[in-house]
Amino acid sequence: MKRIVMLCGHSGSGKSEIAINLAIDAGVDKLVDLDIVNPYFRSRSVHALLEEEGIALIEGTPEQSLNSDLPTISAAARTPFVSPSMRAVYDLGGGPSGARLMRQYTDVIDKHHVECLLVVNTMRPGLDTPEAILQLISRLEGAGGIKVDGLINNTNLMEETTEETLAEGERILRTVSDTLDLPIRYTFHLSKVPITRAFAGEVRALERYLAPEWL
Amino acid sequence: MSRVLMKGNEAMALAAIKGGCDAFFGYPITPQNEIPEYLSEHMAKEDRVFVQAESEVAAINMVYGAGGAGARVLTSSSSPGIALKQEGISYLAGSEVPCVIINVMRGGPGLGGIQPSQADYNQITRGGGNGDYHLLSYAPENLQEAVDLIKQSFDKADAYRNPVMIAVDGLLGQMMEPVDLERTPDSKQRERKEWATDGDAGRRGKANTIVSLHLDPNKLEEHNLALKEKYDRMVENEQRYERLETEDAELVFIAYGSTARIARSAVESLREEGYKVGMIRPITLWPFPENAFKKLPDTVHTLLTLEMSLGQMHQDVKIVNQGRYHLDLYARTGGVVPEPEEFIEKAKAILKKEDAA
Repeated sequence: MKRIVMLCGHSGSGKSEIAINLAIDAGVDKLVDLDIVNPYFRSRSVHALLEEEGIALIEGTPEQSLNSDLPTISAAARTPFVSPSMRAVYDLGGGPSGARLMRQYTDVIDKHHVECLLVVNTMRPGLDTPEAILQLISRLEGAGGIKVDGLINNTNLMEETTEETLAEGERILRTVSDTLDLPIRYTFHLSKVPITRAFAGEVRALERYLAPEWL
Repeated sequence: MSRVLMKGNEAMALAAIKGGCDAFFGYPITPQNEIPEYLSEHMAKEDRVFVQAESEVAAINMVYGAGGAGARVLTSSSSPGIALKQEGISYLAGSEVPCVIINVMRGGPGLGGIQPSQADYNQITRGGGNGDYHLLSYAPENLQEAVDLIKQSFDKADAYRNPVMIAVDGLLGQMMEPVDLERTPDSKQRERKEWATDGDAGRRGKANTIVSLHLDPNKLEEHNLALKEKYDRMVENEQRYERLETEDAELVFIAYGSTARIARSAVESLREEGYKVGMIRPITLWPFPENAFKKLPDTVHTLLTLEMSLGQMHQDVKIVNQGRYHLDLYARTGGVVPEPEEFIEKAKAILKKEDAA
């Protein structure tokens, strides 16, 4: 994992949950929540947990207004890019509108230290073919002025996920991977779904932090 | 399509397309924005109509116009936006123009907040607009049920020539869950709407008119009585509910929507500990499912209403059950979503008190 990991993708692909998981597992300094699209289930809603883990949250909500849906981002979101020893995970909002925010940082993004990973769940409608994912990558790159450096397989149907679900996602992602010469960097599976076979990249069990257990 | 993972608002929007929605008119408001966002892309692909209106008031009047012309029309909003639409909804009901309205509820009153709430219960069931009218209203508990009900709601709206409201809270709009869009059939073949102002007066030999204005009080009363006959038929035929573990229950929860989801989890935990707890889950808010309370077993001594509003649905539970059971209420509001533990604790306190008595 490079010093800075940016997670982009389609809405509802699992970016926020993966951002929290990666940030906690790697013990980074900052989690930057750049999601100005969603009103609920944003990584900023677990600020207390992150604090316990010693991870500082950077986000744009005005003081005392966690539940506002103002499209504001913090000026501090620039800091990790220009601080040579600061490790951070960036959680972007969904789709091209979410990626567009990155335009303002293109002058400070140093690819030696920053990688941009695309989170994909092929069980989301319209994302079940390599062509659709290739088109998504092109739209995200166009909107954000960024280049996707790798893929994360987060294919799931939540509690209904099986190993087969993940394997199907990987089959689709492999075509994308071959076409663009992009590595599959991680495969995430719900900790409740046991894994018995090999999957591409680092295989990680995902803890869900954002949704209550009864949901 | 088999099972896919969708966000509530997206799934509801897609279900509307599959229910035969010809046109959408709306205005943005959190937490339902993914509905117009989704439809803005997909209605165009399906060669159907999508308009982002200049306001909620404009949107509902566009619904009135397109619905009057015989189209299957949808609008969506959230609580304060629905309040703005009430005048138009009253006109639609008064003129017997069918439409479907999705209300993704948030906290109130006024602008309130953007977190989940059920405090529109009165607004939905008591007629937010003027006059003697009712909306057929469905309150799904999960996304699959929301999809199934929305697909069916356009048929219901047409059959009764009445607006149908889908009432969910923000949580259902924003959460993700696997759904099967094909579990129920898509909307059936449509009949021509012979009452519509569709420009086909030549064929019919007469011009249709759509009005809610009847200046002769006798005529207006007659119109109201005809509407009432229709509402009576809805009460007779459209009540929907689920009864969960009520067969030997001592305490029965009454809860709908997300609250029922939380209550379901509480019932499971309480049953595991040996407590005789069940649940009645209204699926229609109007007509309120009175039938669900008939033939409850003699073991039942208490009904506990659980809602994310301060006793709005509890009023209906009281109307149906006054004098028959102990009636109690546990309510959170303002966007606070209760935890199952809160219901469990309340249930145990009631059962303990009853044992001691």
